[in-house]
Amino acid sequence: MPSDNTLYLIRVVATAWAVTFFLRALPFLLFAGRRRPLPPAVERFGTFVSPVILAGLIVYSYAGLEWRTAWPYLAGALTVVLQIWKGNALSSIIAGTALYMTLLALTGCASVPVAHLESKAAHPLIRVTTSGLRFQDRPVTPAEAVKLLEKNGVPKDQTLHVLVDPDFDDQQALWVFQHNYLHRAGYAKALLMIGERRAFSGSARLKESSADGAVIPYAPHAPRPPRR
Amino acid sequence: MNSLPVLMGYLTMGFAAGVLLSVKALIPCAPLWSALIAFGAISGTLSFAVVPAIAASDPCYSIAVLTFAINFRYAFYGFSMLGRWRGIPLLQKWFLVHSLADEIYALDVACRIPDPLKNRYYCLWNHALCATYWVVGSTAGALAGAALPIPSRGIEFAMVALFLVIFTDQMKGWLKRHAL
Repeated sequence: MPSDNTLYLIRVVATAWAVTFFLRALPFLLFAGRRRPLPPAVERFGTFVSPVILAGLIVYSYAGLEWRTAWPYLAGALTVVLQIWKGNALSSIIAGTALYMTLLALTGCASVPVAHLESKAAHPLIRVTTSGLRFQDRPVTPAEAVKLLEKNGVPKDQTLHVLVDPDFDDQQALWVFQHNYLHRAGYAKALLMIGERRAFSGSARLKESSADGAVIPYAPHAPRPPRR
Repeated sequence: MNSLPVLMGYLTMGFAAGVLLSVKALIPCAPLWSALIAFGAISGTLSFAVVPAIAASDPCYSIAVLTFAINFRYAFYGFSMLGRWRGIPLLQKWFLVHSLADEIYALDVACRIPDPLKNRYYCLWNHALCATYWVVGSTAGALAGAALPIPSRGIEFAMVALFLVIFTDQMKGWLKRHAL
């Protein structure tokens, strides 16, 4: 009994084959048994359509790369320049890919300093979930979170954004973390944001995190957590 | 034979496509699928482009659209083969049509054998050999990608590089045709 994955891949192969074969067979089907030259308009259309589709594919496939960095464009420029200069497709592709892989390996997204990520507020370093505290998706204790903040040189005089999952309702624990850990360590400007729950990586973005009216600034007028 | 440059090109391109499939598509038995995709649609660009689609489990209609867009150019290759392949038995003709890829087509066009029978055997051999290179390269690449710890981060650029190269060549050809 083949698994769903196998069936899916069989369908993929069959689709790819059917469409490709149909396209390749099209002229033979259209002009079967006729001895007539191709209308020049069709020929011109054929030479025109292919680069347009390719240009679209190039733009589309850049979305799958690290397109916010300069690296794919540098590697792309190298590929094109080599291809114009030498005209050897294989060496152009290998050189461009090697350059891109090297640049990624040397820097990648990790080159963006943690403190820089924090200051953008769209990527909070600390997240509070019902299953505990997370520092960049890594489970930590409150003390560890503060240590990591200091280790990464997050400035204490800047606003520190903390993402709170919407289903986290232990106000007291939040207050304890904010007051007894962050504030005591010098992070006086902690900003708690109630955000939607989603995987939170370097490129993840918060949707309207501050616009949903759930921002609780650390300030005297903030609602006090109930005292025990 | 004339297909030696294609041998080098297809083996390495197939190898790259196979590696990409095995490290990026996250499927079991990648070499088997690599071979099937390679033989099913003898089309280098598609072998690369289908990898992210498989990784994302794209539905078949979107793969059909992707295939159509990428391989649309093949619909025009057949036109110049119409007269040349006249009178070839249906099964052989099907195989010729099935494996009418870019480089193979270029070799077919480059061949100027007036005798139709010799021309037919030239084409058949050319298609069979080149298709074999392609499938062997793809399978070997997928095997290597599954077995060796190839650094995979960024390897997906190979596909974009291929598109860029083809696009550059087309632009070069266009500029030449328009005598600039």
